[in-house]
Amino acid sequence: MSEQPVVAASDSEQPVVMMDYFMHLEYREVVCPIVRRYADALMDGKILGQISPTSGLVYVPPRSYCPVSCEWLGEDHLVELEDHGVVTNFTIVTPVQYYGQEETEPFAKASVLLDGPGGMLGLQDILDLPVDELRVGMRVEAVWLPPEERTKDEIGNRSWGSVDGAIRGWRPTGEPDVPAEQFLDKVY
Amino acid sequence: MPIDIAIVGYAQSPSWERSELTEVQFLFPVIAEAIAMAGIDRRDIDFTCAGSCDYLSGQTFAFVSNLEAVGAWPPISESHVEMDGAWAMYEAWVALQHGDIDLALAFGSGKSSPGDPMQIYPLQMDPYTLTPLGADPTSLAALQARALLDSGRITEREMAEVAARNRRDAVANPYAQISGEEDVDALLASPYVTAPMRDHDLPPFSDGACAVILATADRARALSDNPVWIRGIDHRIEIHQPGMRDLRESPSTAAAGKGAGVADGPVDLAELSVAYTHQERILTDALGLGAGVKVNLSGGPLTANPMMATGLSRVAEAARAIQRGDGRRAVAHATSGQPLQQNLVCVLEGER
Repeated sequence: MSEQPVVAASDSEQPVVMMDYFMHLEYREVVCPIVRRYADALMDGKILGQISPTSGLVYVPPRSYCPVSCEWLGEDHLVELEDHGVVTNFTIVTPVQYYGQEETEPFAKASVLLDGPGGMLGLQDILDLPVDELRVGMRVEAVWLPPEERTKDEIGNRSWGSVDGAIRGWRPTGEPDVPAEQFLDKVY
Repeated sequence: MPIDIAIVGYAQSPSWERSELTEVQFLFPVIAEAIAMAGIDRRDIDFTCAGSCDYLSGQTFAFVSNLEAVGAWPPISESHVEMDGAWAMYEAWVALQHGDIDLALAFGSGKSSPGDPMQIYPLQMDPYTLTPLGADPTSLAALQARALLDSGRITEREMAEVAARNRRDAVANPYAQISGEEDVDALLASPYVTAPMRDHDLPPFSDGACAVILATADRARALSDNPVWIRGIDHRIEIHQPGMRDLRESPSTAAAGKGAGVADGPVDLAELSVAYTHQERILTDALGLGAGVKVNLSGGPLTANPMMATGLSRVAEAARAIQRGDGRRAVAHATSGQPLQQNLVCVLEGER
C-alpha cells in the first residue's frame, strides 16, 4: 500500500481538523473459464452466449448459470449470437470534467438486443451518429476491429456485456426502425 | 423466551487458495446443496440473509450479484450484513423469532484471492490512528500472542501443537485447504513470519462459501428426523481500539457464551474460529470449555478459512459433527474484527 498521511497545514496552535489518507488497493483476478471461452470466440469474430432451457433467457457474455431459473449452464448451453440487433435503451452522458475524465463532448451508451437467439449487450458505443439522432428501435450492426488489432485485455469477470477489444462499436444499418413498444421489458 | 429454531440443511464449498470461478459461481452449488439437504423448494424460503464483503474481491455491489445464486425473481425478502455469514444466520434467527415465517436461508461467501488481505483488513480499523499504521491481522494477532506468551498461559510449543492437531484432523475434511501430519519440533524450527508467529500459527486466506437453512420447530420436524437445534445464540463486541483491551482475555466471548447458555449443560465438541493458534487458549478459557471438549474436529480456520464464511462454517461443521454422532451438544463460535474484537456464540444440540 502506498500511503502518505498528510496532516493539514500544521500551524501548531491550530487543532488538526482534516487528514488526507491516500491509498492504493490492487486486485488481480483470474478470468473464469466460461468468460475465457467467450473471449477466445470474440477473437475469432464470434459472439458467444448461453441460453437457459427453462427460462429461455440468453446471457452474453455467458455466466455459467441462469439467475432466474436457478440452473447451472454448461458448454451444452453455449450458442453463437448474431452481430446485429436493435437499440432498446440508451443514456446520453454529458461529461463533467472530473479527474480522469477523457471525454469532452456528449456521448451515448446504448443497450443492444441481438437478433436471432437474443442476448443483450449493455453500455455499447453507437458510431457515426450524432447523439441526438439515437433512438429506441434503431437497427445497428457490429463494427469489428480487424483480427490483428483484437485483444482480450479488457475482458474480465466484471465486464458483463463487454465486447471491448473486439468490437469498436455499433453503426446504424439504415433499415426501418422496429416499434419501440416491443422492448418495454428490455429497457435495462 | 426465544422460540426453537433448527438447522435443517447446510453446505460448504471447498476452501481454495485461489478459485478460478467467480464468487456467484462457487456460491451457486453451495446454496443448491443446502436447499436439497433441507428437502425444500427454494421458493419456500421466507427470508434470506447474506454475509460478505465487497472489499475482498474489490467489486462494487458484489453482494447484490451474489443474490443471483439464490434466485431472486420473482422478488424475495432478503437482507445483507457486511460481516461473516454467522451474523447473517443471527439475523435470520431473529427474523424467525417473529413467528410469521418458518424458513430462512443464511449464507456467507468471500473471494479474498484477488486482493491482499494484509492491505484490505487495516481499512476496517480506526481510520485515524490504526489504518494509517497498516495495522494488519498478522501484526495484531502477534501482539495478542506475545501478551499471552508473556503471561505464561501458553507456550510456542503448545501453539505448534494446536496447528499440528488441526492439520491432522483436516486430513478427513474434504473442504480443508491445508492438512497433513506435522512434526511439532519441525514446525518450531521454522522461522518467524512476525514474531512470535510462525507460518503454522497463521491461517490461509481462502475463497469459499457456506450456507445453512433454518426452520421453526414444527417445520423442522416435518422436514427432518434429525434436525440440529439452536439452543442459544448471542454476540457481543468490545471497544475498537486494541490498545484499550486486555488482549489475553475475551470478555465478549465470555458474555456471548453466557448469553447463549454454554454452561447450561455438558459440551461435547466445539467449533471455534481459531484463526491464530494462540486464540484457542483464549477462547476455550472464555467459554469455560474443559479438556474433555473436542475442539475443531474439522481442522478449523487454520486449515480452511473462507473469508466471510469461516464463522458460519463453524456452525455447519458442528451440525455435521452432531449428525455424524461425534457428540450431542456443541458450541459454534464466530469472530469479527481484529483480534477477536466481536464474537458470536451458538449452542447446538442434536435430536437424540
